[in-house]
Amino acid sequence: MTDDDITRLLSRSSPEGIEALYDRYGPLAYTVALRILSDQSAAEDVVQEAFLAVWRRGATYQAARGSLRAWLCTIVRNRAIDRLRGERGRPHVEAPTVIQEREVSPSDPWAAVEAELTGHEVRRALAGLPVEQRQTIELAYFGGYSQSEIAATMEVPLGTVKGRVRMAMEKLRVALTDPKESPWQKP
Amino acid sequence: MAEAMNCFEAEGHLALASVGALEGADRSDLERHLATCHACRGLAARNADAVSLLFGALDPVAPPPRLRRNLMAQVYAEAVGGPGAVRRSRWRHFLDRIPASRALSIAGAGALAAAVALLVWENTGGRPAVAPHEVSYRVMGTTADPSASGTLTFDPAQSIAELTVRGLPQLPATATAAPHVYEVWLIPGAGAPMPAGFLTLQPSGGTWTAVLSADIRKYQTVAATIEPYGGSPGPTGTQVLSGQLGSR
Repeated sequence: MTDDDITRLLSRSSPEGIEALYDRYGPLAYTVALRILSDQSAAEDVVQEAFLAVWRRGATYQAARGSLRAWLCTIVRNRAIDRLRGERGRPHVEAPTVIQEREVSPSDPWAAVEAELTGHEVRRALAGLPVEQRQTIELAYFGGYSQSEIAATMEVPLGTVKGRVRMAMEKLRVALTDPKESPWQKP
Repeated sequence: MAEAMNCFEAEGHLALASVGALEGADRSDLERHLATCHACRGLAARNADAVSLLFGALDPVAPPPRLRRNLMAQVYAEAVGGPGAVRRSRWRHFLDRIPASRALSIAGAGALAAAVALLVWENTGGRPAVAPHEVSYRVMGTTADPSASGTLTFDPAQSIAELTVRGLPQLPATATAAPHVYEVWLIPGAGAPMPAGFLTLQPSGGTWTAVLSADIRKYQTVAATIEPYGGSPGPTGTQVLSGQLGSR
């Protein structure tokens, strides 16, 4: 079943659409929530809430605004961040974890999805970012920090934050969506 | 009045927005720009896709099985009696198979077989109006629900079948237990039944449907049983429908 098939099912408020969506992206959604919340129970709650929101809202996904995967990741991420903010008042300030390269084992539940969608480009792209750009991205996307909060946390001017995010996104976009035009010639 | 944002400025804001870091007035300005700029909307979509791919570098963690079970139990409960059922329109679409490995055991299958009448409608006078390439089979209720009857229409070109059933009662919920569901099975000549989908009550009421994404020519029987919320890995409950899938 393709994403288009799933989208059609979702647009008709079909339970099978949610079932198919979960079977395809449930592990990803759970990993996203767990990465942000660092709490299994909270991550389960967020994933269930996110999928139920998709089920109840029905046909709100628009392909022109990005992939089904991106749409779902955004929903899960936003809910996880909301929960993080609600529970802590502010996310706990700590040094961002640098995403490490890893080996994908044959039993890896995500291996097939990752191999299909990104392969090694993700890790190569991340490894190619300067540390300060990667940390900025991580604070924002995984930690839920706003631009001004990042500036305060990293003790840099707001303009620097904007510049880092802009440059990082430009590199990531090119590297991940069109690897042939990647600015990095070497892994 | 502030000047409208240009695309260069928008690109910077889009980068921040894609990672959720854009704030207040900047967000409003960007939204106004996106409303009128097709190119920047495309860039926003590409940013979103790129950011979502970052999760591919995380160590994946398999969710506990109860998460899927609980989610689907809630979804099917709403589909049967809740707001989902109200919204739901008639559907003819693909259905993903429910993944699971099964041990076959349909209790009382032999006794129920006597209550099953399955007719291949193709080349018979009773055949409903279907596309020339489609094949329809009749499915009947078992002794548990003798008033139930239905049709399984198979499209060989797409390996999709739609099961439509009338006469099945809604499965009640109690104060302490969620309603059960009608789970559909495709049963091969030898081997375990394959879970093929769930019957869902149509908004108009009275008619239940399920779309089966499978080549039913590989199976001998279609059946439905009453199962707990979210379904079962193998049939465990009362069988309410059955039909023989003749080889063609």
